[in-house]
Amino acid sequence: MAPPERCSVCRQTFFCGRGHVYSRKHQRQLKVALERLLPQVEAARKALRAAQVERYVPDHERCCWCLCCGCEVRKHLSHGNLTVLHGGLLEHLASPEHKKATNRFWWENKGEFQMKEKFLISPQDYARFKKSMVKSLDSYEEKEDEVIKEMAAQIREVEHSRQEMVRSVLEPQTVPDPEEGSSAPGSWKGTNSQVASTSQQPSYVDLPPAPELDWMETGQPLTFIGHQDTPGIGNIHSGATPPWMVQDEDCSSGNQQIGPSYEEFLKESKLTNSEMVMGSLSLPTQIKLLIVEEKQKLKKLPPDRVGANFDHNSSTSAGWLPSFGRVWNNGRRWQSRHQFKTEAAARNKQQLHKKKS
Amino acid sequence: MATIYLVDVDQTPVYTHYFDISYIPSTVFFFNGQHMKVDYGSPDHTKFVGSFKTKQDFIDLIEVIYRGAMRGKLIVQSPIDPKNIPKYDLLYQDI
Repeated sequence: MAPPERCSVCRQTFFCGRGHVYSRKHQRQLKVALERLLPQVEAARKALRAAQVERYVPDHERCCWCLCCGCEVRKHLSHGNLTVLHGGLLEHLASPEHKKATNRFWWENKGEFQMKEKFLISPQDYARFKKSMVKSLDSYEEKEDEVIKEMAAQIREVEHSRQEMVRSVLEPQTVPDPEEGSSAPGSWKGTNSQVASTSQQPSYVDLPPAPELDWMETGQPLTFIGHQDTPGIGNIHSGATPPWMVQDEDCSSGNQQIGPSYEEFLKESKLTNSEMVMGSLSLPTQIKLLIVEEKQKLKKLPPDRVGANFDHNSSTSAGWLPSFGRVWNNGRRWQSRHQFKTEAAARNKQQLHKKKS
Repeated sequence: MATIYLVDVDQTPVYTHYFDISYIPSTVFFFNGQHMKVDYGSPDHTKFVGSFKTKQDFIDLIEVIYRGAMRGKLIVQSPIDPKNIPKYDLLYQDI
């Protein structure tokens, strides 16, 4: 038997020497493993001609497994806050160590010769990639500069418009201060709480343009009715009890009955005469009457029934079980029958004696 | 079906104070006796301050409140366009 050899593709140990690599199972496993790696290599190859530069994201730290070298390889190339997509993988595929490892891997595992070229990148291709990477980096930097300039221009514009608004507000000081109850729509930030008449209101350059606010300004404006703040009394914002949940002083005792009164209940329900009579008595009398009724019912039942003489008021232990009809007897059925017959005969004799006497 | 009540603030000082109604018109929404809050994008979620621009806005708001309340929500998001919601000062004693 040949010495044991572990095949990394099949992840098993074999004892048939070099013959294992020619088996169908090994070839199938090899094909599957290569097909798993191939899409990533193809994606990297596409990036050869046109390198893509992106802003760094933690997702760019991902690695992929190189089957030929048996090691993990960083997929993308990151530096600072920039990432060159597929840069890491391309660098590895173009390295001479990877080429050696691929040749050895193909020799050992007897892979298809045509497939090998797909997993190698020539140094010339890698040089082309490096040139395109430099170009992409430059264009990315230009784009970033443009974006920053645009943002700066926007901020400058906003600041300018704010200052204009403040200036235009401060200028017309001839308008008197507002009285209570006059209309006062304004901005939320409260930069302008001075009230002017509708026609003299300043234009809000920050907010949506004037035509869209016309319906508020020319329609029914808000009426201020005074601040509703009374110290000591809470409101909805302070979490006070709602007025409809506050208990009235008259009914706070808890004796308040809810639902219909007894007379209303009788009117609504369809009760019999006896039930209506019962209903008119007091509670202890009702209980006594019920007990009497139960006793009358019991008298009508047969006196020989099981449990007729059982004292229901006696205390029984937790393990008490009823015993009647010889249920706990051990032995044959004829023994129980014999016992029953002797007892029945004795009972009959007793009854006869009683009748005679 | 929603029932709409028009309430005079002078006749209900307790509720006016509880709901902190400083500007009129203000609309407060209830469902089964439960006060419903709505996020209009304004600072106050307990009531709608001001008038509605269109009837459809009002109808949509009622529908959203109803749907949220039926699902057990106590606060819902307003479907009205923010530019149609009246803006007002929420200053306290001119601070």
